[in-house]
Amino acid sequence: MLKIEHLRKVYPNGVVALNDVNFSVNDGEFLAVIGLSGSGKSTLLRCINRLIEPTSGRITWNKTDITAAKGNEIRNIRRQIGMIFQQFNLVKRSSVYTNVLSGRLGYVDTLPSLLQIFSKEDKDKVLSNLAQVDLSEKAHVRADSLSGGQQQRVGIARALMQDPKMILADEPVASLDPVLAHSILKYLEQLNKERGMTVLCSLHFLDLVHRYATRAIALKDGNVVFEGLPKQIDDIQFKAIYGQEAEKISII
Amino acid sequence: MTDRNKQNVESHQKLFLISLCSLVIPGLGQFLQKKHWRGFTIFISAILLAFLISWALTLYGIAKINFGILETSWLFIPLVIFWVWNVIDSVNLRTGKTASPLPGILCTVCILFIVAWDVTEVKPSRLVERFNDAKTVATKIANPDFFAVEVNGVSEICSWDCLWSNFRNKLSGQPTQIIRFSENPGDIFGRIKSVSSLGDPIKPTFVAGKLIETIAIGLMATIFSTIVAIPLSFLGAKNIMERVSGGNFIYYVMRTIFNVGRAVDTVVWGILIIVWVGLGSFAGVIALTIHSAAALAKLFSEEIEHIDSGPIEAITASGGNTLQVIRYGVIPQIIPSFLGYTLLRWDINMRSATVVGFVAGGGIGFFVLETIRMGAYQQYAAALWAVAVVIIIVDTISSRLRENIILDKPKAPRKRGVIGYLKPAIYILLGLAAFIYCWNITEINLGNLIQPGPTFLQILKDFTRIDLSSDVLNLVTKQIIITILQAMLATFLGAILAAPASFLAAKNLTGKSRFLAWLYYLTRSVFNFLRSIEALLYAAIFVFWVGIGPFAGMLALAVTTFALIGKLFSEAIENIESGPIEAVNATGANRLQMIFYAIIPQIVPSFVSYIVYQWDINIRMATIIGFAGGGGIGLTLSTYFGSLQYHKAGTVVLFIVVVVALMDFASAKIREILV
Repeated sequence: MLKIEHLRKVYPNGVVALNDVNFSVNDGEFLAVIGLSGSGKSTLLRCINRLIEPTSGRITWNKTDITAAKGNEIRNIRRQIGMIFQQFNLVKRSSVYTNVLSGRLGYVDTLPSLLQIFSKEDKDKVLSNLAQVDLSEKAHVRADSLSGGQQQRVGIARALMQDPKMILADEPVASLDPVLAHSILKYLEQLNKERGMTVLCSLHFLDLVHRYATRAIALKDGNVVFEGLPKQIDDIQFKAIYGQEAEKISII
Repeated sequence: MTDRNKQNVESHQKLFLISLCSLVIPGLGQFLQKKHWRGFTIFISAILLAFLISWALTLYGIAKINFGILETSWLFIPLVIFWVWNVIDSVNLRTGKTASPLPGILCTVCILFIVAWDVTEVKPSRLVERFNDAKTVATKIANPDFFAVEVNGVSEICSWDCLWSNFRNKLSGQPTQIIRFSENPGDIFGRIKSVSSLGDPIKPTFVAGKLIETIAIGLMATIFSTIVAIPLSFLGAKNIMERVSGGNFIYYVMRTIFNVGRAVDTVVWGILIIVWVGLGSFAGVIALTIHSAAALAKLFSEEIEHIDSGPIEAITASGGNTLQVIRYGVIPQIIPSFLGYTLLRWDINMRSATVVGFVAGGGIGFFVLETIRMGAYQQYAAALWAVAVVIIIVDTISSRLRENIILDKPKAPRKRGVIGYLKPAIYILLGLAAFIYCWNITEINLGNLIQPGPTFLQILKDFTRIDLSSDVLNLVTKQIIITILQAMLATFLGAILAAPASFLAAKNLTGKSRFLAWLYYLTRSVFNFLRSIEALLYAAIFVFWVGIGPFAGMLALAVTTFALIGKLFSEAIENIESGPIEAVNATGANRLQMIFYAIIPQIVPSFVSYIVYQWDINIRMATIIGFAGGGGIGLTLSTYFGSLQYHKAGTVVLFIVVVVALMDFASAKIREILV
């Protein structure tokens, strides 16, 4: 179980990204994080794997205190948490294979990894994970020769190399065509249902939340303004989250 | 109502105040309205123009008119117009009207050109008067000693003409002679016969040897400068140094070093280095290494500053440690561009290696200087042809490799057999052998670096004793002004000639008929051929044609400008978007309207920015054109050096650094505004 207590993040320029965030996620949940741009979604997800240092508060995950971890401990925690990014964050000039392989770095010794020497199991794992996202035949092409949807699937394969128990997905479909959104989220759903991974996923579109999430929280100005089942987000809740002028739109 | 009146009065008062400010001190009105750069530029321009006009009047009597006893220059008229424009501009800024800088620029350009024309001794009549001299040289240049033919049992060296006569004989059924390359392979690059009467004969292998030496110099300098530039570039990258305490200071220091290193031309570095390690190829290697390392380090650090932080974040998130982040997130991003820049630099270094010998004594430049001194134009021609061939080959290899790097496709890892391991091993061995060969050829002697000659310290001391006495200062100022104006005229002349030619060299405009396609290849080849030879090597031709002086240097610079800028122009034309053309065509416009509304607006900004960029390059080139008789500050520098007046030479170098760095900064700023 992931538990977040009184989490607060103030950036050096004085922006309060997270004010006082409290919630918890049970293992095996698909939690959608919604809210406007700038509401603190990205900051929240990055605090969980300490890519961003929280100002105060506590994050505990299965009795490990993430906020107290140091050095090697942080890396050991990070390797159990896969992350998927809005901009995919692939090394564009490297091959798909190398990009996926880099997801294993947290597990291997530094020196062999610098010479790109990996074990047979790790190499096989790359291929099986690429098969999982249906990209087997693209292993040896340059990452930037793929379409956006394919690049995001490479991102998923890279995260799977970590054998993660939890996946943080930061707007995984916001840079993609709406039609591709479902194809990406279906992979996440599959990982959630079949392999029992906890998924925390920030999303823009409410109908995607309805379709995939088992639970949702909404952030506004760095505070949790809603926590509950996706279907509980009614018109009043909607206006509270997105503001009075907002209109519901849907994709496909 | 009264309130508004009051406001009106107030705003009128302010308007009056601002125009008064601009009237008293040009640019002040603009400066007060927060247009700092505009104000500053106007202020500096006004001062410089006023100085230039009175300088030109007292020294050259340019544009002199007499009013009774009062002697003045009619060039003050455009300056007055500039002044008036500046006041109007400040008012326009205040009232929010669109303020075109065009009148101000026109006045400036007008003054600059009139002064430049006189100062650089432009005499177009000379081109005609001395045309026969030029023809003699041109004939010799066009006919290098490439071939040999048997005449009555004696081997005689000949040129294209024997190929031609042979061909004619064959057609008419007469017996043909056997033509082969000159007996001694070295003869291809130089004929001994014509020199031997003038003193020491140049050995036949001389040029060929010097050519190999040139290639070695360029190669070694590229390798050394890359090795030096990589660590320095990290110290000059803002995004990295910001994280280190005291890093900002190091960043600025490094950036200054890069800029000074780049500002001083290789040839000028060569002068400083021969004092240190003595004449020879080694001095050339060091001079090139310094210039090239500074240029590369700047490019590298900019590349480091622009890397994508996404992969770094992703690898950190997957639990990678710092080393792994660098290996998988940073290095794959920078390696290709580093390699690309190094290859580009190799190309540039090869070109510089052909002229560094003018002062440093190594490579083909030294040979060319000898041939010019002896008037051995046929050998000069052979050297020119040889340089062109080598540089075009290097250029082709370099750009082909760079293309491959951009498109590089990752290979599937496969089982390596013996051959798989042997191949890289062979490459490494070959590379090593070449490296050692070049090391020997360029006479690299690290001992010389550590233990310079006994006079070195004394000379260095002399050198840093900057001489600011008025006669030195006057001469240096004069030559610097000549250099800048010479570069300006050359840029202008080259650009004017290149603009129409560049349309012929643009693939998207010439792909239609076979004739145009043929023209395209012809123009391209002319650009590439002319581009392959440095301005310093061209200077000899023009010195012979129009005489020693800035005019010859200007013409030599104009030729390289024509080729360099022509290529850039044609690429700019090739890169225009087809969207606007389609859109204008869709409105029913005719072809001319299409060109004026869809093509020209797209290319003008890039043309202007290339011209400014080229001016910047030409100033750097103009500082050394004097070494080949092209006038300007290079002449002063070589005179001072030749007569061992090191303290004065030090002053000249200081001036060159300051002026080139300033022009570099100004050019970057102008291009920033344009793009």
